[in-house]
Parts: sequence; structure tokens; C-alpha cells
Amino acid sequence: MRIVFCGVGAIGSTAAVLCRNLEATLVFIDFDRVESKNLLAQAFVKPSVGKNKAEALKLQLLNLHGVKSEAFGVRVTRDNVAALCGSADLLVDCFDNQASRVLLSEFARAAGRPLVHGALAADGTFGLVRWDERFVPDAEDTEGQATCEGGAHLPLIGQLGATLARVVQDFAKHGTRRDALVSLVAVTPTAS
Amino acid sequence: MATLNITYNGLSSDLPLELDGHVSDVDVRRIAVEVVRSGGAPGLHIANLREDAFSHYVVDRFRGPRGEERIYLRPKVPFGA
Repeated sequence: MRIVFCGVGAIGSTAAVLCRNLEATLVFIDFDRVESKNLLAQAFVKPSVGKNKAEALKLQLLNLHGVKSEAFGVRVTRDNVAALCGSADLLVDCFDNQASRVLLSEFARAAGRPLVHGALAADGTFGLVRWDERFVPDAEDTEGQATCEGGAHLPLIGQLGATLARVVQDFAKHGTRRDALVSLVAVTPTAS
Repeated sequence: MATLNITYNGLSSDLPLELDGHVSDVDVRRIAVEVVRSGGAPGLHIANLREDAFSHYVVDRFRGPRGEERIYLRPKVPFGA
């Protein structure tokens, strides 16, 4: 099984690390680089600062956990989405913007690829794991709205990342497609 | 009988809702303000909740496994990476 994580920032990197036990090929896509401030909320370690996030996560999984994976340090566009995601058995959307989520969703629907989304509210109080057939990407309230780069929302990011990883693992092992609402006090299954 | 789930400020509450036909998103937000203020949403009682507390919230509507209507009022979730 080939599981492609699209975006490996806060949610993507956290969920991906928690999928390292799967007998699957993990693939990471992200054009961004690791910054010092990311260390507080994302699964990156200090030696990764300055590296591409996808490459850094691949190196960390290999060096810290002995797990091989693949990395593509590029931005997903209409021109390359089929090449990057066409061989995926499961797509995991952890992008941080509506346009990229829509692009991925349109590809997944056209290509018939399973796609699950992980998404987080700006204030760090709420997150969502939802399969594409029930997901509508939300826009930011204001353009350039602050994202979850600092460490303030780390507990919720961890909870959401773990929930997303569980949903990915359940799909990989049993083919189930569960949704969940994630808040600071509970993880609530909402559909399967 | 529908179920309205309200998520606000890190808390989440389910409450049964008798509906006479379709309710608009605006109505869902208005109902939510009223029930949260009145204590009708278990575990989510905020007497001085602002009138516009849910104005930027998203209303999702699904059918449950037995065909029942489930309405979710939730914050936007634009972020992931």
C-alpha cells in the first residue's frame, strides 16, 4: 500500500510519524522548508531546520526509526498532481489552504482515489478528520490568517494527528472510513 | 428528530432537535445561540454568549446510519500543514 501525505507541517508530520508502524510505503509531499518556529508544533527536530519538510521527515524516519519512505519537495499543482498522487492507494490531505485542498479533492474524485482530510481551526480548539465524500474545504476568515506554526496549539495538534493516524491505519487494515470531530476534551466519531 | 452538534471554544455538545421541515444555516446559528445561552446544550452553557458567536461557523448536514438528520455547527478548519 502506498500512502501519500500531502503537506507535512503540523498535522501531516505528526500523523505521518504515527503511521510508521504500517506495512506501507509512506510518501511525503511538501514544498516548504523547516523553520526554527516549526519545531514547537511540528514533528521536526533541530538538525532539520533549513531542509525541505518532505525530505527532512524522510530522513528523520530513517535515522530515528529505521523506516524508509519517499519524499517530493515540490508544490502540488494541476500539472503534477497526477504524477505525484496517481499511484497512491490512499491520499492524506494535510494542506493549509483551500485551493490546494480543492485541487487534491478534484483529482481524487476524478481518479477514484481514497482521500481523507485532516483540518484544524485557527484558534487551535477544534479539528476535523473527514473523508472526501463528506468534506468541504473551508477558506480562511481573512487572507494570510495566522497558521498553527507556534507551539500554542500543540496538544490539539497531537490529538488531531493521532486521530488522523488512527483513521489511516483503520483504512489500511480494514478498509473502514471513519470521520471524527476533535476538540480539546473529546474525539467524537461522526461517520463510518 | 434531528441531532444538532455544536462545537465551540474546544467543547462539543449534542442535542436533539425537533424540526418542522428544513431550517436554514442562519436559523441553525440562531438556534445554537439560544440553546447555549439557555443551558440547553449539555456541557456547553454560556449565558452571555455573543449574538454573533457563530456567524463565521460552518453548518454541515449529514444522514446518520439510520437515516436520521445530523447537523454540525463547527468552526472553520482551514489549516493542516
